[in-house]
Amino acid sequence: MNLPALVCLVVVLAYPIGYAAYLSVHEVSLRQLRSGEMPWAGLANFARLLDDEVFWLSLRHTFVFVVVSVVLEVVLALGIALVIDDERVWISRVTRALILLPWAVPPIVNGLLWAFIFNAQYGYLNRTLSAIGVIDEYVNWLGTPGLAMAAVITAYVWRTTPFNILLYHAALQGIPAELYEAADVDGASPGQRFLGVTLPLLLPVIAVSLILRTTFAFMVFDEILAITQGGPGNDTWVAAWYTYRMSFQPPFNIGLGAASAWMLALIVGVISLVYVRFLYRRVEL
Amino acid sequence: MAIGRPRTSSRHRLTARQRAGLWIANLAAIAFLVAPLVPVILGSLHSEKSLQQDVRSLLMKPGDFTVANYRLILSGGAARGPIFEQVSYLPKSVERFPTAFLNSAMVGLAVTAATLVVAGLSAYTIARLGLPWTQALLKASVASRMIPLIVLMVPLYVMFRRYGLLNSLWGVIVAEIGFLIPYAVLILTPYFASLPSELEDAARIDGCTRFTAFLRVLLPLATPGLAACGVILFVISWHELLIPLIVVNRPELMTLPVVLAGLVSDYFVFFTLMMAICLLGLLPTVVLVLLLRKYIVRGLVAGALKG
Repeated sequence: MNLPALVCLVVVLAYPIGYAAYLSVHEVSLRQLRSGEMPWAGLANFARLLDDEVFWLSLRHTFVFVVVSVVLEVVLALGIALVIDDERVWISRVTRALILLPWAVPPIVNGLLWAFIFNAQYGYLNRTLSAIGVIDEYVNWLGTPGLAMAAVITAYVWRTTPFNILLYHAALQGIPAELYEAADVDGASPGQRFLGVTLPLLLPVIAVSLILRTTFAFMVFDEILAITQGGPGNDTWVAAWYTYRMSFQPPFNIGLGAASAWMLALIVGVISLVYVRFLYRRVEL
Repeated sequence: MAIGRPRTSSRHRLTARQRAGLWIANLAAIAFLVAPLVPVILGSLHSEKSLQQDVRSLLMKPGDFTVANYRLILSGGAARGPIFEQVSYLPKSVERFPTAFLNSAMVGLAVTAATLVVAGLSAYTIARLGLPWTQALLKASVASRMIPLIVLMVPLYVMFRRYGLLNSLWGVIVAEIGFLIPYAVLILTPYFASLPSELEDAARIDGCTRFTAFLRVLLPLATPGLAACGVILFVISWHELLIPLIVVNRPELMTLPVVLAGLVSDYFVFFTLMMAICLLGLLPTVVLVLLLRKYIVRGLVAGALKG
């Protein structure tokens, strides 16, 4: 009964990863693909990769993107999860019904719609900010280094926060009422109750969400493609974008792309291991 | 998950100030979740001309309202009407929209069905057998969720090129199935494990094999869980851009996200059209998710936490 799954996993997951390693030590671009012969290249692809300023730039951007977006996702999701957990106001039902809305929006649509929001001439961010008097002149959000990255992160965080809200909400519902009652009897303030009861019991779930969200943030692609295409300049090049551009757009250097793909896999793998080691163990999951 | 928990109602009554605070917090959360979609709706109901004429206004003037964008897209570029009559250039995405919509639906349904079958069988063995190698399969599923998709797409491109799967929907379907199986296993395993095994035991005493017991006894019981997993798989397939973007470049085979990505080079010209296409593209999964929210929530939480 496991044969179909095993075949699929080998063909589409395990073998390609090995094959990517093979490609990364061979010279592979359009000419080699056509002729079918891929000459051995040794570590030349990796040497070229480590020599490429844009690659290092992409890695730096990726780290900034991952750290900022994951922190924002966790904090925002925690806040919203706590708000909707209190069922004593009926509006919280409406909020709960809408949590998954951003999750249901296709990532590429999400990118395009934020590209419209951030557009300098017609975008609704500039319209809104000038209507409430925050800005006088329209801001070129996507054309300004720094702001463009912030824009991409905003779009990404909006789409991905709901998943975390969901996890935290489920975990909050699993906290027994007796614990809160005990805290109330002891005269705990709301802040003490959060730090003493809620947060410790949420830690395992937060750990899981950190692992998942970090690995997924490393893969960000759709929003980059839709909002900035790596621009302005190279300001929003991230690792997945680098791999895509090198492999599937001129110069179509698949060997180099495979090398950078492997570096990316390695980084994500190491970070996941570190997370599992430190977070899982500490919270005794 | 406890339903109808007494704790919130048994806690003290809210003071007026607390109630107001909760209301404001909830409204802020709703604004966060909904606000970015407002410009999509507003933009899609404008004509490009009226959008560009008044770059200061937030809400639209009644005279600006038009559904011309939708008529143009749904007719594949045929129903131009007065607004698009004189336009000499239309984004290719407009005429490609109807085909792409169908392609996405076909790929989504095929991927969902195949993944459910394959992953369902494996999840069942993992949930019921508890042998070292089935546990290893579960661990492998968790680990393979961490592999960035772009890492798979580079070698898959070369492989597909060699075996003639480039520029075919089969290539897209095969890649998506492989990518989604581990996730489906993670969602289904805890679900199968939560179902009672006594009925299957009885069926096996009556002479069923493990496979027929799974087919006749467990599957009917598991319909809600399978449905939840199926919706999640369909949503992810509907959203998938990178796989079809790399596998397919013939226009008639493009899926919706690829066609939408094609707007990137166009969007300085036609924002209103872009927003209308976006809205049509997000509608299927948004409606599906809002309608089936409860099932999906359970599946998503299981897939993340129980693995």
